[in-house]
Amino acid sequence: MDKITTEDLSLYYGEKRVISSINLSILENNITAIIGPSGCGKSSFLRCLNRMNDLILNSRLTGKIFLDGKDIHGNNTDVVEIRRKVGMVFQKPNPFPKSIYDNVAYGLRIKGIKKTSQVSEIVEKSLVASGLFKEVKDELHKSAMELSGGQQQRLCIARALAIEPEVLLMDEPCSALDPASTFKIEDLMSELKKSYTIIIVTHNMQQAARVSDWTGFLYLGELIEFNETSKLFTAPREQLTENYITGRFG
Amino acid sequence: MKKIKEWFGFFLLKASAILILGIVVLLLLFIGIQGAKVINLEFLFSFPKEGMTSGGIFPAVFGTVALTLITTFFSIPFGIGAAIYLSEYAKEGRLVSFIRASIRNLAGVPSIVYGLFGVALFVQSLNLGASILASGLTLGLLTLPWVIAVSEEAIKSVPKSFREGALALGATKWQTTRLVLRYATPGILTGAILGLSRAAGETAPILFTGVCFWLPKLPGSIFDQFMALPYHLYILSTQHYDLEKVRPIAFGTAFVLVSFVFGLNLIALIIRTRLRKDYG
Ligand SMILES: Nc1ncnc2c1ncn2[C@@H]1O[C@H](COP(=O)(O)OP(=O)(O)OP(=O)(O)O)[C@@H](O)[C@H]1O
Ligand SMILES: [Mg+2]
Repeated sequence: MDKITTEDLSLYYGEKRVISSINLSILENNITAIIGPSGCGKSSFLRCLNRMNDLILNSRLTGKIFLDGKDIHGNNTDVVEIRRKVGMVFQKPNPFPKSIYDNVAYGLRIKGIKKTSQVSEIVEKSLVASGLFKEVKDELHKSAMELSGGQQQRLCIARALAIEPEVLLMDEPCSALDPASTFKIEDLMSELKKSYTIIIVTHNMQQAARVSDWTGFLYLGELIEFNETSKLFTAPREQLTENYITGRFG
Repeated sequence: MKKIKEWFGFFLLKASAILILGIVVLLLLFIGIQGAKVINLEFLFSFPKEGMTSGGIFPAVFGTVALTLITTFFSIPFGIGAAIYLSEYAKEGRLVSFIRASIRNLAGVPSIVYGLFGVALFVQSLNLGASILASGLTLGLLTLPWVIAVSEEAIKSVPKSFREGALALGATKWQTTRLVLRYATPGILTGAILGLSRAAGETAPILFTGVCFWLPKLPGSIFDQFMALPYHLYILSTQHYDLEKVRPIAFGTAFVLVSFVFGLNLIALIIRTRLRKDYG
């Protein structure tokens, strides 16, 4: 089942085109990796999918994006609804300057879930899922700003999981993590894929190869190649892709 | 060579800091020593006597505190409201740029002009008469541009990533604004209180709008006239028939006024450090 489809998707910042007519289908309960050199538009693409670029004043989007077959820019689509369904973990960890507990609870509270027992339960569950719970269980009311970078990133993952989105967009979630926490996150993704559709941007090709089912290679805003991960890494169809994955540029 | 340059740079910075500090300390010492001679509870809590040549300054203290409260009620909500509108909701464009430029310019208008405007608008057109309300509103207008500017600045300085984090979790525009406001609060409050403390020391805007040289009793309502510390000081130091005799009282008044302003600034400082600590 296609969870997300893009049709001729282009994105401009002012006059500059950073995404060029991308047609792509993302399968439900699969992990899709987006790879490509720095500045090729990976983050920009991801931000289209939860309409985060709406915030950028001079950005303009053409083409269509469908979530479960519904146009996310449609007239009667609620952008808040879209963002609840399509969660996001940012490239740089961005916890709120609140306690660890309140960070994870924030999404629940704004959704109207106020019952303390229910909130605590979901907070704990989400922290366990993101692999942070053991380290912080005795200091849930400590400020999130006192956590290390990697812990903050896992907190942001927990925060995104708490509201139980259907799709999870992860923009280089492991770039601030050590190998051990990276493996934890990768395990977590394989676990999460049972109930979520995951799109991950990564610079790390081994990681893409390890965790993803599908991989797309972006270059200068164009989707050069999209294929099953095993095929893309072993038998790329395009010369550019081959150059990139063999490390000849990027 | 580089070392020397660096040393010299630091030296200049340090020297200017010490110079400024020195001037402030000198000013305070001067006022403090002169004022301390007359200050006691009696001075703070009794009415002036015998044509102000003796007695206290209670009505002026009361007037300034009440006036500052009225100013606060007017300028803080409207100022913060306008800042939220400008930074979060208004569509960037000519109109908004024009509004912003006007606010900047208003902040630079001399206070006496506000005084005249206050007379025309509040005392006459709105028929409030010369009253503590009219003066409070005039001072409110005076501080409004400042409050708007510092609030907008504080809101803008909240990192974009908080906003994005909240929106990505499905926060509505208003919920996001509320989160942003929480982080902007220390900045907003500090700025607003500094603005108020400046207003508390103003003479010109209250001169025509309600302040009185001498009243036998405290204002009974917001529509009554009042006495205020800055104006009292002005009278005692330039307009009194026996300037020499009232000089100590003038210093006492100056000391109380400066302490009030410093007190407000201190509150701003405490709020800022308290809240900053929570926000890491
Ligand atoms: N807000 C913005 N305004 C204007 N241009 C932008 C903006 N954000 C990104 N860009 C430009 O768009 C292009 C794509 O940026 P993007 O962040 O999507 O790249 P990326 O593939 O995620 O890179 P990286 O791997 O370094 O994170 C870059 O050339 C960048 O300079
Ligand atoms: Mg990026």
